Parts: sequence; structure tokens; C-alpha cells
Amino acid sequence: MHGVKRVQYSKEVLEARKQRDQARLKDYLALYEQVFQKRKNKDFSQDAFDSTTNILRMNPELYTIWNYRRNVMTNGIFPASDPSKVNDILSDDLSLTFALLKEHPKVYWIWSHRMWCLEHVPDGPTDDQLKGWKTTNWKKELFVVEKMLDADARNFMAWNYRRYILGNMDPPPPPSAELTYTTKKIEANFSNFSAWHQRSRVLMSLWKEGKLDEKTSKQTEFELVQNAMYTDPDDQSVWIYHAWLIDAGEDTALLRREITSIQELLDEQPDSKCTVYGVACPIQEAHFGEAFGQLGP
Amino acid sequence: MKGAESGKDDYSEYDTPHLIMTYTALLSLAILRDDFERLNKPGILKLVRSCQRADGSFTSLPNGGDSDLRQVYCAFAISSILDDWSGIDVGSAVKYIQRCSNYEGGYGQSPGGEALGGTTYCALASLYLALSQSTSSVSPHLSPEERTRTIRWLLQNQTPVGGFSGRTNKVPDACYCFWAGASLHILGASEYVNVTALASFLSKCQFKFGGIAKAPEDTPDPYHTYMAVAALALYPPEGADKSYNLPKLNALWNTTEDTAEWIRSHIQRRS
Repeated sequence: MHGVKRVQYSKEVLEARKQRDQARLKDYLALYEQVFQKRKNKDFSQDAFDSTTNILRMNPELYTIWNYRRNVMTNGIFPASDPSKVNDILSDDLSLTFALLKEHPKVYWIWSHRMWCLEHVPDGPTDDQLKGWKTTNWKKELFVVEKMLDADARNFMAWNYRRYILGNMDPPPPPSAELTYTTKKIEANFSNFSAWHQRSRVLMSLWKEGKLDEKTSKQTEFELVQNAMYTDPDDQSVWIYHAWLIDAGEDTALLRREITSIQELLDEQPDSKCTVYGVACPIQEAHFGEAFGQLGP
Repeated sequence: MKGAESGKDDYSEYDTPHLIMTYTALLSLAILRDDFERLNKPGILKLVRSCQRADGSFTSLPNGGDSDLRQVYCAFAISSILDDWSGIDVGSAVKYIQRCSNYEGGYGQSPGGEALGGTTYCALASLYLALSQSTSSVSPHLSPEERTRTIRWLLQNQTPVGGFSGRTNKVPDACYCFWAGASLHILGASEYVNVTALASFLSKCQFKFGGIAKAPEDTPDPYHTYMAVAALALYPPEGADKSYNLPKLNALWNTTEDTAEWIRSHIQRRS
């Protein structure tokens, strides 16, 4: 991790650590041998399930064992359990993987196992509430991913996962809720381009579905991004978002207005490199040579 | 490898075949100058074929696992190394790659994602590797506008201290010096990289007892050490001493030209 500096350890500390690591390694290798033997024997028992838990806690990168664990569940454990029990087992697995994620936030297998669990939540608890368990679990999942983004607001795996959750929740959360979430994340730190990117995705879908008027909403966005520009004209996030808002640069009047507004910022902060860069990008792309000429050197 | 074929047993004592590991294994064998006598080419092509999904993307394993641009790159690299593209529907895979392209100029890990240096390399290297197959048309499926926009985004990620960051507004990291640097190299835009600043950043990532870390003051590891050296092989600083004399790198396969030549003579030209 960035920002974690090297520390000097004493000889005693290093020796103690070495002993501990060796003992751990011995346990791991014994367990490894055992789990792979069970897998070879097609052992789908509770005991096999527990051994996969133990080894995955030690090494969550062991993808073959994640696959085996799912086979144990679908071939051994689920057929012998009623839907309520299946729901409990999957909820336990979601708790287990949340604990693992806190320690290993970027191990793909953990994220994909969560997806598998969510997708296998049975109907229930009753015939009247067929989606009950599903709704509870998916809602909880959104909370989990928020926790992950609180810990690291730029974790791209968490953002990808968030989009997956939002796309699969039934019933889907109100569309404005995600816009509010990105506002909160941007206000906390407007250098966080991941939040701006999410915002662009949300807006595009709201405009497309006619849930938000594109023209009015774009105006609000221009104001938001202009505030950020004035706060730090050298921040890349705002310029990329601005270029996205301008889009292909087909609206000449809009382009002229934005050029004028950036010129004002440039007059105020003549040393800002991003400012010139920011306006040049979309305009060059749209071949508005004449408009670009107005900006001066 | 033919010797490892178990045939009937569903569960061999080995892990499930994995697309990324297969790419890595082929390169490692070539680096070790294996003669590839025991290479089970049809088996590898079968794996590649069984990993492709309807949307053109690939999963890591035949029965699932992650699916994003990393696996697409490995499938393309494997096909290109074997000089046999019969395991891939290139058209649908290219469509998937294009769906990952975003307005920033880079490629997200999967469609709709934020642009990332590593997956931008995967996308570009795949598109250019596909050019090498005889049946493909001349275009790398990249319009001049897209190319310009990608070059701009990549260059913008070369930070004032010389290292590249992997995403907009992130801190520089030694591995992105390769992912972004190699991407620019593939796009024919190497001349815009500030090579002196790049080498200066990477030299600061060097640990005094050996190895290169992701950032200055960080702990070195083999991954960042390799990536930094690979970046320097593509971008030797001007007027550098002979410690910077590194073997020529093949940016599309991410291996030395010597190893690439070994692959050509021992896998491709074998009949």
C-alpha cells in the first residue's frame, strides 16, 4: 500500500516472526494436502465444507478450492437443506467473505464468490414474500460495498461491484439515490475521479430513461464542475468530467460559453496548465479550430 | 503438457486450467528455452475456446471465474503465440474490447468501468495482436480519433515526478510505467514520453539493497521490479550509462525480443 513506510525490526522480532511463519506454513501445507485429497475423493460432506473454510481463510487466492466449495454446496449441502437453511448458509458465506475482503480488498475470487452466493439465494421466506431473502441480502450488499468504499474511495473493484449490485437489485433503488451518493463522495474529495465517473454513468442512464431532463441537468453539472475548477484548476478529474459534459462538441453556443468561462479562470490563474489543456481537448477533437483561436496563447 | 493428461478423472490433483496461468506458463517455458516438444496445442486451443462467452469476453476458467479485459488479452496472446486463432471468435471479442473503451480515453476493466492503465494495455495489445492474424483486415479496430484520445489520456497520467499513474488523479506507480508506457509504444507515440523523468522516478523506486518498489520508500517486490525494468527497456533515458543497456522488448507479448524469436522458431515454425 502506498504511504506505508518500511520499518526497521529488531533481530528478536524477525526471529519470532520467522518461527511463527514456519509453523503457519506447516499447518497450511497439511491442510492443503487434506483438502485436495477430499476434492479428489468427491467428498461433498459438511466436514469437507469446513476444511475449505479453514484453508480459504489462510489463502483466499486458492481458486480451485473456491470452486470445490461451491461444488460441495450444490452437490452435498444444499440437497440436504431446506430453503431457509440454504439462505442461512449463503448469509454465513457472505459474512465470511466480508471478513476476508477487509484483509484482502483486491482478491478477485472473494468478490466473485459473493456474486455467486447472492445469485443463489433461494425464493422465500414465504410464498407471499418470494423476494424477501433476496431483497435483504442484496440491500446488505450495498451497505458492504459502501463500507469498502469508505475504506478506500478509489478501490475500482468495489466500484465495479457497486455497479453490479445496483444493476441486479430487485426492486432497484430509486435512481436519484445513486446521484446523491456520488455527490457525497465528490464533496468528500473532488479529486476522486472514480466518483465522477460513477456520476457520469448514472446521469447517462437517467437521461436515456427520461427520468431527468438532460438539458437542465447538464446545466447543474456545469455549475458543479465550475466550482471545482475554481477550487483547484490543476485537478485532472474536473477537466475530464468537463470534457465529458461538453461531449462531442456539437453545440457551438455551449462551446463558446465554456471557452469564455475558462478564459475568465485563465485570466485569474494564468499559471494553470490544465485550464488550457482542458478546453483544448474537446474543441480540438471537434475540429473547432476557429473557436480554439479565441483562447489565445 | 501431454504427460499431465489424466483423461477420465473429473478431479485431477491439479488446479483447473486457467487462461492467465496458461499465458504465463507459455512465456515462462519460452524464457527457459523449452523445446515445446510436449506442447499440447489442441488442448490449449480447446481451453481458450471453452472460456469464451457469448458477449465475446473470456472467463479465467472453463467453468467461470473473472471475466474482463485481462482474460481477453491472455486469449489473444496465447492464440498469437501458438499462431492459431481457431480458438477465438475474434469479431465478438473485438466488440467486447470496444465496449470497454470510455470517454476518458482509456479502457475500463469491463464495460462501463473507469479507465485503467493495465486494462488499457490489455485492450490495445489485443487489438494489435489481432492484426497479425492473416485473415484480419488492416485496421486495428481503432479510429484516428480514438487513438488520439487514448494517447492524450495516457500522457496525462505521466505525473510531474515522471512516473505514470494507472488512473486519473492517482499517485504514480512503477508498474504503470510499463502498462502506460507499453500502450504508448504500441500506439506509436513513444516520442511523447518524458524518458528522463521516467527513469528518474523508477530509480527512486529502487531499494538500496536491491529490487524496485511500486513507489519511492516502498517495499520492493518481483512484480514491480520486472515491470520497471520492462518499462526502461522500452524507454532508456537519453545519455544513460551502460547499466541501462537492456534487451529489446516485445511490447505486445511483454517479453524480450530474444524470447519472442524463440517462440517464433520453436512453436510457430514447427510443422
